[in-house]
Amino acid sequence: MSDETPAVPVISVEGVTKLYRRTMPGDRLRTLKSALVGRNLTRGLRPDEAIAALEGVDFTVGRGEAFGIIGGNGSGKSTMLKLVAGMLKPTTGRIVVAGRVAALIELGAGFHPEISGRENVFINGAVLGLTRKEIESRYADIVEFSGLGDFMEEPVKNYSSGMYVRLGFAVAVHTDPDVLLVDEVLAVGDEAFAHRCLRRIEEFLASGRTLLLVSHSLDLVEGVCDRVMWLENGHQRLVGEPRRVIDAYRQEVAEKEGEEHKAALQQRQEDPASEDPELRWGSREAEITSIRMFAGVVGGEERYHVESGEPVVFEIRARAAKALNDFVFGVAVATPRGTEVWGTNTDLEGYVAGVFDGEATVRLTCPALRLGPGDYVVDVAVHSKEGAPYDYQRRALEFTVTARAGGIGMYLPEHDWEFTGGLKWAGRKTLDP
Amino acid sequence: MFRVAAQLFRYRGLLATLTSRELKARYRGSVLGFLWSLANPLLLLAVYTFVFSVVFKARSQGADPYALFLVSGLFPWIWTSASTLEGAMSLVASSGLIRKAVFPAELIPMVSVFSNLVHFLFALPIVFTALVAGRILGYNVGGVSAVALPAIVLIHLPLVAGLALGFSALTVHFKDVRDLLGNLLTLMFFLTPILFPLDSIRHLRYVWWAVRLNPFTPYILSYQEALFWGRFPEPSLWLQMATVSLVAWSLGAGLFERLRETLVEAA
Repeated sequence: MSDETPAVPVISVEGVTKLYRRTMPGDRLRTLKSALVGRNLTRGLRPDEAIAALEGVDFTVGRGEAFGIIGGNGSGKSTMLKLVAGMLKPTTGRIVVAGRVAALIELGAGFHPEISGRENVFINGAVLGLTRKEIESRYADIVEFSGLGDFMEEPVKNYSSGMYVRLGFAVAVHTDPDVLLVDEVLAVGDEAFAHRCLRRIEEFLASGRTLLLVSHSLDLVEGVCDRVMWLENGHQRLVGEPRRVIDAYRQEVAEKEGEEHKAALQQRQEDPASEDPELRWGSREAEITSIRMFAGVVGGEERYHVESGEPVVFEIRARAAKALNDFVFGVAVATPRGTEVWGTNTDLEGYVAGVFDGEATVRLTCPALRLGPGDYVVDVAVHSKEGAPYDYQRRALEFTVTARAGGIGMYLPEHDWEFTGGLKWAGRKTLDP
Repeated sequence: MFRVAAQLFRYRGLLATLTSRELKARYRGSVLGFLWSLANPLLLLAVYTFVFSVVFKARSQGADPYALFLVSGLFPWIWTSASTLEGAMSLVASSGLIRKAVFPAELIPMVSVFSNLVHFLFALPIVFTALVAGRILGYNVGGVSAVALPAIVLIHLPLVAGLALGFSALTVHFKDVRDLLGNLLTLMFFLTPILFPLDSIRHLRYVWWAVRLNPFTPYILSYQEALFWGRFPEPSLWLQMATVSLVAWSLGAGLFERLRETLVEAA
């Protein structure tokens, strides 16, 4: 699959901007007036009276294509879906959708809580444009797919959230839409149902239909979609091959997390009063005055997000008020839930204490920190050889690791595959764009 | 307004389903269930008869028996006012449906119109039974003119639909409509010759004119003619109804159409 636009688009979105009107007290009459005169709630508003949910978004989706939209909360993903569904009209720009659209936008949306699942299937089907006869002929399949045979006569208000999704998805896929819009809801179903949905989506795509999927589950998006768009604050950041877009998105999320780790660290060091006694203890005969993390070599960039395999330096600055001749410096890396990943200290590595007086800087350099993707916390300490702490700082800093290559777990060692004998691969996908 | 009509026609099956479920839902959990559709008009009739014949001793002005005169205009009015009030609130009440799913919004106020029409139709057997009883007791009420009823209902329908559609869309933007509307409808009720025959207020010149010019009056007069007086409504009444209905539908559906695109955001 490529980044090119498809020859015959099923969904075509051109320069779409969607403004929402800010709710202002005492503004109802003006709202009504602009609705009546402009058929639109935002025309002629000053910029501070409107919020742009989407700005200048362009994309097309072709037949048989699965298109994913990712991005943080409030990035405009759901608004985009509602625009394609025709529920909202763009403030400017154009949206053309060829064929019938079925949308699963929100959990239980379109269901009447007071009436039975059975009746709701008929109402839902009719909204999606099916005649009563058509729904009757598919009813058995819908019930079977949803797995809700025993509950069809119950009012849907008694359904669990999983049951809502099952029924909604079952109706939507059995109405033969040309375009299926799915917003996140699949995450609610259980594993077995999720697999059934995915299989159904594959069949759906294979028969030349089109899927538009909004999800925070990047793995799901990567697994299902042929192309992905990344939205950020209503702007289109990147469109293209899923791996590339998702990696770029993950990278940026990690960078932001890194910034947050850095800000948290600075806040802590600038304001010792805010210190939690649970997180720092010791006699303070020696004191750790700062701890920082650099990616790359010493003197490199101070940052708290790294790509797995990058060189990392932990820099500890410490001060001894009186001269000490018994001291050990230690660093330990753990997961936020407390699983030790790696720990070491100067004593374990054979350094015999001489004298520590006044200011000192300790640097621990890892030429390649091959941790798995995720968040990590670092404890640092200076203590006596016997273990009596001078200054122990728990969770002194946090950092985020991203990994481009596959693999799961906390450790990603350097490795290679080798194959001999009656084994042949059809090819290998490029993982690193 | 053409688009609204086309949508309603396209989704007529769904409209029927929604109306029947609305009716079912209304009586779910009540002991009498659907019998309330019969019991309600009977009780209402009893209350009005008691208040206006016994308490106020209203002069029937030749409209005897008064109870029969009353119901022939009251039930059509209840259809009109209940549909308008319920319809006005319907979009706001069902905002979940139109905000979160692709749903033809015009169906929602129309469900109020049709479910209240069904209640009206359920009350008719009571009216007919009472008319037959009245004739047996020697009163000169009713007659073959009752066959005009379907035509009156049909010409009345666009008025009720126009009101429900227009006010439903307006209420979404302007919640004050609900309170305004309730009081306006009460005023309209007293300015329509339901509790009194139109002729009985001829001596109150301005009131008479106000009643005569009330757009609801020709409908009520027609129902009373066909049901109570046993006369076919005059051509001028038909003409007035046709005009009011056309205007009400155009305004109501037109307003709905105009506001349609803003409903999802504002509801």
